[in-house]
Formats: sequence, C-alpha cells, structure tokens
Amino acid sequence: MEGDSCNEFCISVNSKQYHPPAWADRLLNYFCRQDYADEILGDLHEAFYWRLKEKGPTKAKARFTWEVIKSLRPKNLKSFYHLSLNTMIFRNYIKIAFRTLLKRKSTSFINIFGLSIGAAAFVLIFLYAYQIISFDDHHQNKERIFLAYKERITPDGIQPTYDTWIPMKDRFLSDYSQVKEAARIYETDSRVIKNNQYIEEDMMYTDESFFDIFSFSLLHGNEKRVFADMQSVVLSSEMAMKYFQKENAIGEIMEIFLPDEDTILLYQVSAVLDKYPVNNSYQPSLIIPMESIPVYPEIANNWSSSFLETYVLLDRKESWMDLEAAFPDLIETLWGSEVRDNTNFKLLPFDAYYDTFLGNKNDAYTLLFIGFGILLIAAINFMNLSTAQASQRMKEIGLRKVLGAIRGQLRTQFITEAFVTSLFAIVLGLILVFFIIPYFNDFFDVSISFGMFSLLQIIAFCAILAIALGILSGSYPAVYLSSMKSIDALQQKMGFGGSVNFRNILVVLQFSIALFLITSAILIRNQISFMTNKNMGFDTESTITFVASAADFTDREQGIVRLNTFKEELKNKSYMTEVAMSRAVPTNWTRSFTFVRPDGWNGDPLRMRYTYVDANFFNAYSINLKYGNHFLPDSEGNQRESVILNEAAMKAFEFDPNEQNVIKIGDRRINVVGVVEDFNFESLQIEIAPTLIFHRTGEHPVHRFISCKMNMTNLPEKIEEIEDKWNELGSTNDFTYYFMSEQVQRLYEAEKRYLGLVTMFSALAIVVACLGLYGLTLFIIEKRRKEISIRKVLGAEISGILQLIFRDFTKWVVISFILSVPFVLFFMTDWLEGYHYRIPISWITFAITLALVFLLVIMTVGYQSLRAASSNPVNHLKDE
Amino acid sequence: MNLQLGVLEEMILIILLMKDETYGVDIAKEYESQLNQSISLPAIHVVLKRLEKKDLVTSKMGEPTAERGGRRKRIYQATNKGYEAAKYLQHKRSEMWKVIPAMNFVFQ
Repeated sequence: MEGDSCNEFCISVNSKQYHPPAWADRLLNYFCRQDYADEILGDLHEAFYWRLKEKGPTKAKARFTWEVIKSLRPKNLKSFYHLSLNTMIFRNYIKIAFRTLLKRKSTSFINIFGLSIGAAAFVLIFLYAYQIISFDDHHQNKERIFLAYKERITPDGIQPTYDTWIPMKDRFLSDYSQVKEAARIYETDSRVIKNNQYIEEDMMYTDESFFDIFSFSLLHGNEKRVFADMQSVVLSSEMAMKYFQKENAIGEIMEIFLPDEDTILLYQVSAVLDKYPVNNSYQPSLIIPMESIPVYPEIANNWSSSFLETYVLLDRKESWMDLEAAFPDLIETLWGSEVRDNTNFKLLPFDAYYDTFLGNKNDAYTLLFIGFGILLIAAINFMNLSTAQASQRMKEIGLRKVLGAIRGQLRTQFITEAFVTSLFAIVLGLILVFFIIPYFNDFFDVSISFGMFSLLQIIAFCAILAIALGILSGSYPAVYLSSMKSIDALQQKMGFGGSVNFRNILVVLQFSIALFLITSAILIRNQISFMTNKNMGFDTESTITFVASAADFTDREQGIVRLNTFKEELKNKSYMTEVAMSRAVPTNWTRSFTFVRPDGWNGDPLRMRYTYVDANFFNAYSINLKYGNHFLPDSEGNQRESVILNEAAMKAFEFDPNEQNVIKIGDRRINVVGVVEDFNFESLQIEIAPTLIFHRTGEHPVHRFISCKMNMTNLPEKIEEIEDKWNELGSTNDFTYYFMSEQVQRLYEAEKRYLGLVTMFSALAIVVACLGLYGLTLFIIEKRRKEISIRKVLGAEISGILQLIFRDFTKWVVISFILSVPFVLFFMTDWLEGYHYRIPISWITFAITLALVFLLVIMTVGYQSLRAASSNPVNHLKDE
Repeated sequence: MNLQLGVLEEMILIILLMKDETYGVDIAKEYESQLNQSISLPAIHVVLKRLEKKDLVTSKMGEPTAERGGRRKRIYQATNKGYEAAKYLQHKRSEMWKVIPAMNFVFQ
C-alpha cells in the first residue's frame, strides 16, 4: 500500500510541483519541540500529499496551514531556552555590558548622563509639541467641522473676517443639504450674581447643536436635550463646584447679569460638562441658549451686523468645495450683485483654527526637530566614545573572533551594549522629566503632563525610544568594531580607534546643530528685545488704563453719570496730568471696521478700522500730531463731523496733508481735522493699520476705558485711593487696571515662551555636545600621552603642546560654524519674515555665537589639556 | 479498573488495536474511512500523547520516507493495558446495552 501511494505521490508532485506552504512549515519547524518535530511535521507533510491527491491543492494547503496553527499548542513548543535566540550568550553580553559600564565610569557617566538629558529634553518637547499638534483632536467630527467666514475684497487687498450674522445658521441649514448641523457661538463676559456680589465669568451663547458638532461629554444631564428649555444654563464641572459645591448641580438656579444685554436673567442648570482636554480651542464655562437673550427676536433676521461665529458640520469633508461654489449666489440673493463682487463666503476647516487664531503649529514641529537634534548629539557622543574606546577593547574583540564569534554576533553584542546604556538613560531621563514637569509648566506657563497618555502608551513609547536610540547609537560602533581583523585586533594594530574621519564628521555635525540652535536663539532674543524696546509711538511709561464701561452698570444711564464724576475726581488729583476716555486703547485696539471713501472717489470703498476717543486721548498717550489740529475740547460737545487719521490712513487715502480733506462714509461727509503720527497699537509683528479716529465726549456710552497720564511715584497709595473711589461707583466690574508698559510686554508672551524653550534646549544641546567633547579629549590625551611626553623631553613648550591639542578642536568648530551659517540664514530669515518690524540678521550675532562656543570648547578641553601638557613626561614614558 | 477515556481516545485506541502498528496519518485515514468523518492531525497527536501517558500505547521511531520531507514516523502500538482497557469498556458497554428496553425506542 505504501509503495502504491509513493508512486502516485511521486507523479503528482513531479508533474504539478505542489508543496506545503513554506512559511507555515518554517514557522512550525522553528517553534516545535525537537523530539516532536519528526512526528508532527512528518505527519502533516504526509497528510498534505494524501489530501492533495484526494481533495486538490487548495484544500490541502488550507488544511496544512490550519493544522500547523493547531499544532502550535504549548505542549508542542520548544521551551524559551531552546529557541535559537541564544539566551546564554545574551546573558554574557549583558554581563560584559555592565562590566564595561562600571570599568570606565567617566565615559559611562558621559554616555548615560548625556543620553538621559537628550532623552529628557526630547520627551519634554514631545509632550509639549504633541499637545499643540493634537490641538482640538478630541472632537470626533473634527474633519467635517468648518467655520464659516467672509472675505472683503477691497482695493487694498483681501481682508478675511471671521464674524458672521445671526440668521446665517438657519439659512445654511435650509439651503444646503450638505450642512448636517450648524451652531452659532458668541463669547462674551457675564456676571454671576451670588450673595449680592457680581462675579465676572466667561459666557458662551450658542445653540443646542453645538453639542452635536463638538464633542463635549456631559457629566450630568440629558445628552439628547442639553438645554432643557430656553432658560437653561450648562456649566463646566469647575463652575458647578464653584457655585454649588457639587458636580451634580442640575436644577439649581443661577442669577446672571449680561452686560451686553443690560439685563439680569435667571437660568436653571440643565447639564454639567465633563472635564475636557486643555488643548481645546473652546473652553466653555457657562453656556446659555442664544435664543434666551431678550433682544434675540429683534435681531434674529438681522443680516446687517455680523458679530458671532457660525460653525457647520458637513455630511462629508469634501462637501466644502460645493458649498463655497454655491455661496456667491447666496450673497447675491441676500445683498445684490454689487456685494457679490466684493465679498466671498469661505469655510475654514476646524483643523486650521489653531493656526489661524491661537498660534502656529509649525513652532511645535520646529521644537520637535530641536528635540531630535539634541537626541542626535547625545547619540553621537555615544558613537564617538565607543569607537574611540575600541582600542581598549581590542583584545576582547580579537579573542571573541578567535574563539569563533562571527561578525553578526559581535554586532549583536555591541548593539546590546548600546541598548543597555540607552535603556538606563531613558529611565533616568523619564525620572528627570517627571521632576521637571511642574517647574517647566510654571516657568513657561503651559500645562503639559503624562496624563494624556495611558501607561501602556508611555511604556511603548519608551521602549521604541530605547530601541531607536540603541540602534542609532550602537550601529556605527557595532559595524566598525566587528569589522576588524582578528589578528590586527589581537596585536592592537589600530592604535587610534580607527576611522578618525568619520568620527570628526560626527563631531562637526554635533557642533553644527548646537551652533545653529544658539545663533537662532540669539536672533529670536534680539527680535523680541527689539519689539519690546522699540518706541511704540506713544507713551508707555506713565500711563495707566482702567477698564470702565457704562455697560458694566446695571443701570446704563446712571453708569455714564457716575463714570464721568469718577473721571472728574481723577482729574482733580494733583498727580494727574491727563485723563481721557476712549473706546479702545493701544494694545487692545479696535477691531471694528467701516467702509469709507475719500471725497470725490467713485471706486470701491476702503475697509478701515475706526474707534472713538475723547479730546484728551492723544495727550494722555503723548501721541504727536503730525498735521492739522486736535479735536476741540470736550466742552464743545460731540464733534460728529470731524475725524483724525493716523498716517497710515492718510497714505491709504492718498491725501495731501496741506489741503482740507474730506472722507465719506455712505453719504455722510466728515472733515479730516488732523493727522497723528503712526503709533503701534498692536504687536510689531503686524504693520500699523490705517485707522479712523472719531470724537465722542465722556457722556457718550461708547467708551470702555479711562486712561490716565500721571506721576508714577508712590504708586501703590495712589492706586489704592483710586480703587476706593471705584468701589463706591457700583459697577459690576471689579477694579481692573493695566500699566501700558506691561501691556506692551504682554503682546509678546507667545514669542517669549518660544524663546525660552529654544534657549533652554539650545543650552542643553551645547552642554551635551561639550560633554561629548570632554570625553573625547580625555581619550585623545590618553592616546597621545607618549607623543606629548616625547615632545616635552625634546624641549617643547607647554604652549606648543596646547596648540597641538587645540588645533583639531579649532578646526572642527570653525567647520561646524561655516556649515551652520546657511541654515541659520535660511531658517531665521523665514522666521523673521513673520514680523513686519524686524531686525536685520547681523554678522555680530554670528561672531558672538562663535566666540561663545569657542569659550565653551576651551573651557571643556582646556583643563585636561593643560594638565597633560604640564605633567612630568617621565611618568608616561617609563611604562615600557 | 478506573480509567477516564474520552470517545476520541477510545476510538483511536481501537484503531490502534485493529492495526497492530500504525502512525498519525494512517490513523487519520482509517478514522475517515471507518466513520466517514474528517479529523485533524493535531487532534490525533494530542490523543496519542494522552494515551501514551496513560500507558495504553507505546511508541518508537520508524524510518524516514521521502513524502514526509525526510522525517521519521513515530509508530504507535497498543499495550496490553490498552487492550484490557478497551475490552473492559466494550464489555461494560455491552452489559449496559442489554438493560436498555428496546421497546421504548422502536416507534420514535
């Protein structure tokens, strides 16, 4: 019977060449116990050919695979010990790795400490950058959320504005089937009334669909009906704790004063939000239905003033193109063809929200690159020191080779050593990060934590980092060391750790990265100090601003009277030079726009900012008049027919300052009475915008600020005195004041944080690089001891010997410097381009960096070199 | 005699008794031809290992053949104990069968 089957088997195999699936065969062969392999594998093979004959190749193969998998049961497997990853030799590698670490403590310290600083820096940067890169990611519909906005096409360019109209939401929902949900958001401030006290809180007016579009989960309340009715308020959990001392505040009543609406309303808590991530664009604390505000029925169909944000949730991401194509027709039906020509409706992907309004994700990516840079520098230290030490381990390598170690095994050994070191370093680095995080958050005013990752993710991240770092830092030494000939290794022929050139390239790479970072940090610092110290065009030193708006009084009429009394009282103080009221102040400038034409111009109108001031405003800020006259004193009443321009506006209108100029808003003619010098009312990042400045006296309700130019001595007493006066007024707003100088500083907070981060990590980079250099110096001196001694015996001076050692280092630093310059020029020109008022990149910066790095290098290398150069040559010559 | 013997274990033990000397694939072939039901080799291997542990079968290595990829067979043979066990089970079963009142099931 067996003979028969063999004949048939031979024919079928030979003619059709069917074999069991090789991968399954190999899999089982690798894992199967040796004493079972013959039986199991043999049977499976035999059964395969039998089934091949009976049932055809497909079924036979499937059956074979299935049986292989079923055969992989624990009892059939090799013990871990017998798998051909030979654990015994691994144990030896790890033992040797520890011994080497302990034997050369200084190098081990440099390696592990350098790597752990690198890893710590990288982890910190990663945590920070991840927070920014994943901004708003927790909204599940993020891809399909868009912010509707408009663009005005004006003769001086396209100006996007992101506020939209109240009825736009319903219009979108009824006109476009692609729009699945739409919600309006208006963020303002409110006063929660508690025990007769007015407590200022951020307020969001929105629609119930807000909770369908954005992913805010509820701690308490009904997901389906978040607002139970029009008198419902939704609280964040913090607010619930603050006002009701419990998270489940459902059903509680809140009394809220809305300054914008000039009313006090009662709301019932209908839901409490769960905690949401910090990297969320919207951080709502109090949410009420937009329809609940008393004025809503009057403005529900108002297509003339836009002030809120409209979000849409589309059926799918790609629909935004269809919508944008359909918008011009909507504009035409709403306002006619003229508006169609100068207005676009656009959709901003919610993804782009962070970059448009809050910051720049590119900064996060830049920081990540810096993180990689530091990691690379630390890894290079490891590579260099390992190869430099090679000569000291040559006997070991030679012996291993003689005893039969093949190259692959030696490579595995060195990679294992690198892996052990990098694992140590990463654990140490993580411990460092753990302790640094609170200080880091405090110092940079950020809120990073491990909290956004699960423990498993952190462990996986560290494992990947350790393996990547191990391979990065261990691969070159492994390849280099294992490639030596055993006879050379035993005779220790390669005296100076081999491939010097490659090592020099690595050192140059390290210093190029460090130099690049330092130069960039200095340039960023220069730009920021330029912006904060530049003359802004107004007086920042002796001006204090109080927030003082009639809207903050529960009775507006009363409020105006009281604010004016307050103003008069301030004026009468001996230390007051000037007191002015205005709608906007520099650093918190107007964002209101109007359409304006110079008289006699028939083209499209310009879209220009406008604001209101009283007659004392320019004096309070020492803003100089360039042409014409100031407004007449406030006693002359509101000067509705007059406007003062800034220089930018004058240029935009192409006015001749020596003539009597007139502008037209709609059909109203307004005389230009004067032109003030340009002053920077915003960050110097932005060019000064043309602004129309109108006059209103303090009796008019537009004003929101009182600015005082005053004698700044004995300030605390004066502020206290003014505060007492303020508290008598009965405003719902707490006494709030700013110093203009501080406000100017505050404009650059983001830049300063960025500078802080870049500076910190550049410093780390250069420290790690110097650490490596120090190790390398120790080694080079060790190697050249005899040469130095012989030179000394032959009469060389200490200076000559120092020169000998320093020559190489100087060469490296200079080459690194030359390499770093184009990168600095490229990246920093790009960065500076984001600032309208900016510093030139001067050669002095480069000179300073070079000097700094030289100094550091000399300090690093100097002591050891000097000791070597001045030691007694006899000590080092007698050992043979 | 106190023996826990599963149905498959008993079946394979009987096949071994029928064949005197046999091995995995042969058992599978016999099983399929007798019962007209397919069986997987790993299942047979597990059963054989269990039977061997209970001393009902012994095994020795055979010669390698080409169709086994040059691997040897493990050849199994039932022991006396195995024969006794199978016989005991069969005997017990026959006794129990006699007690079943056939009438109860005739018309179902």
